Parts: sequence; C-alpha cells; structure tokens
Amino acid sequence: MKLSKSKGPSKVEIPMAPMIDIVFQLLVFFMLNLKIIAPEGDFNINMPIGMAASSEPNQLPDLKVGLRANPDGSLAQLTFGGRNLGNDDAAFDRLNAEILKVIVKPGNPLTKDIEVEIDADFNVRYEYTIRAVSKCTGRLDPQTKRIVRYIEKVKFKPSKRPEAE
Amino acid sequence: MPKTRQVTITFEEPDMTPMIDIVFQLLTFFMVAINFENTQADERVKLPKDMLAKPPEVRPDDELVLNMGYEKLGRQGQPVVFYTGEEIPVSKMLPRLQQEARIFRQTKVDPKAVTVVIRSSADVPTGEVQELIKSCQAAEFEKFALKATQEEK
Repeated sequence: MKLSKSKGPSKVEIPMAPMIDIVFQLLVFFMLNLKIIAPEGDFNINMPIGMAASSEPNQLPDLKVGLRANPDGSLAQLTFGGRNLGNDDAAFDRLNAEILKVIVKPGNPLTKDIEVEIDADFNVRYEYTIRAVSKCTGRLDPQTKRIVRYIEKVKFKPSKRPEAE
Repeated sequence: MPKTRQVTITFEEPDMTPMIDIVFQLLTFFMVAINFENTQADERVKLPKDMLAKPPEVRPDDELVLNMGYEKLGRQGQPVVFYTGEEIPVSKMLPRLQQEARIFRQTKVDPKAVTVVIRSSADVPTGEVQELIKSCQAAEFEKFALKATQEEK
C-alpha cells in the first residue's frame, strides 16, 4: 500500500480581511457618533416666587441685585442695593467685590443666613441673570482653581410680563 | 542569446499585528468615550457659560429635566419648552407638569423631593424662565437647579 508522505501539520490561514473590515466599520461608527459635550454644572436656587413672605422675619437684610434691560434684552444696568454698577463685564466683577464686602470673608457663618434677591426685568437675557447668580455665589480662585463660596442662597423676585410685546 | 536567470517572486505577508492592536485600541477608546446616556439634553438649547458651573458631585435620585429655547436659533418668536418631542409655550406647560407630578406620585416619589433641572438657552428672557418655575411650583415641585456650561478661562 502506498502511503502519502505527510508533510506535518499545515498552517491554517485565518481570513483577516473580513475581521478588519468589520473592525474599521465599528471604528468609523463610534468616531462619527462621538459628541464632545462640554461639562455642565448647576446652581441650586431657592424659589420663593409668588409665595407669601415667611412668618419669621429675617434678622439680616436681604441683598438686592437688580438687572435692568434694554428693549432688545441686553443689560442696561446692574444694581446692588440701589447703587448702579454699570452694564459691562467690570460691573459683574464689582458686584462680586460688593458681595465680598458684605460677607467680610468667605466661609463666614453669616453667609448661611444671608439671601440674595435677584430682581431681573422680564426681558433681560437669561445669560446675564446666570452671571449675576454666579457672581453672588462665589468666585474661582485663580491659583487653586477651586470655588470660593460666598452666598449660596439665591432667590428671584417675581417679574411681570410687559403688556406690549 | 544571453542567459536569463529565473527570478522567483515570493509574496511576503505584511505583519498586521501592530495595526490591528492600534485599531482595537482606538475602537475601545471611542466605545468608552461615546455618551449614549445624555439623551435628556436638547441640542437646540445653547446654555449660558459660566466659570462656577461645576458638575454636581452627587446626582439627585429623581430629576425632571426641562429644556427651553427658541425653535430656531436667534431670538425669533416665542421661547418654547422642548417636551416629549413637542414645542410647548411656557403658558401651556402647567397641565404637563401636573401630569409629571402625578406620575412621580404614582411611583411613590414626592414631587417636593424631585429636582427640576432647567436647561434654558442663554438668549431666553429671564421672565420666561421665572414663569416656567412658577408653573413648576404650581405643580408642587420645589427644588430647582439652573444649568450652565462650564467655561474654562
């Protein structure tokens, strides 16, 4: 009987092409679906809009921040306790400094009781309100990049919708 | 006639291993980095930017996200709330919010413990946001958080 000479185990070729195709397709799918979303943060606020004033009179006077609007919604005037601070970027920094003057130093136990009331015109753009809220709640330490908290309690004064739009 | 030498061409397979390694690493990176979860955020909302807006350390157990903005970019028409695929003016939100509160109660969650997350576009009038908050309060929601995009400086 004639036996064929065995050449030892033959190398099995794995078809790589389909696997690479699929892997590339998956790669492209995930790359196209990737959305780089900027991290979002929030400001917790008290909202006593339309609620009756609390029965316990507050010992400390509320700090009033006013935002007056131009007809187009831009900021006409930023006020703090009736005082005009302007309407530019520096005005918000001035507000931050004024708040610091009131609380004396960050972390003062007083800051737990003090409340800032934001009295914004109906039309003023939301971005200005958020900036005012931010400037009342603290500042970012340029060295440590950590937040230095000023006042955490913020409430809104109800604003009326203008009659003529 | 000159003698020709027969040249045998051997096909040498390129080494695919490093390429496949890299491709798999890229694939893993994109799979991990992809964010399928963030579906409650509406792309039409352009949040205001602020340096102090840090992502919360503890996420509330129950939250109701409300997206507010204009149907088209730019202040045209009335701002609307993007709610379950519809665009609803703020004045008509109360029944929907009351329904949300009922759903929370059915799942044994007190609406007072639910944080209402307001994602509003930067160009919306503040008064509209306040009216939305008022409607939420009428539907017995009490906790509010205003969202902003974290700005690096």
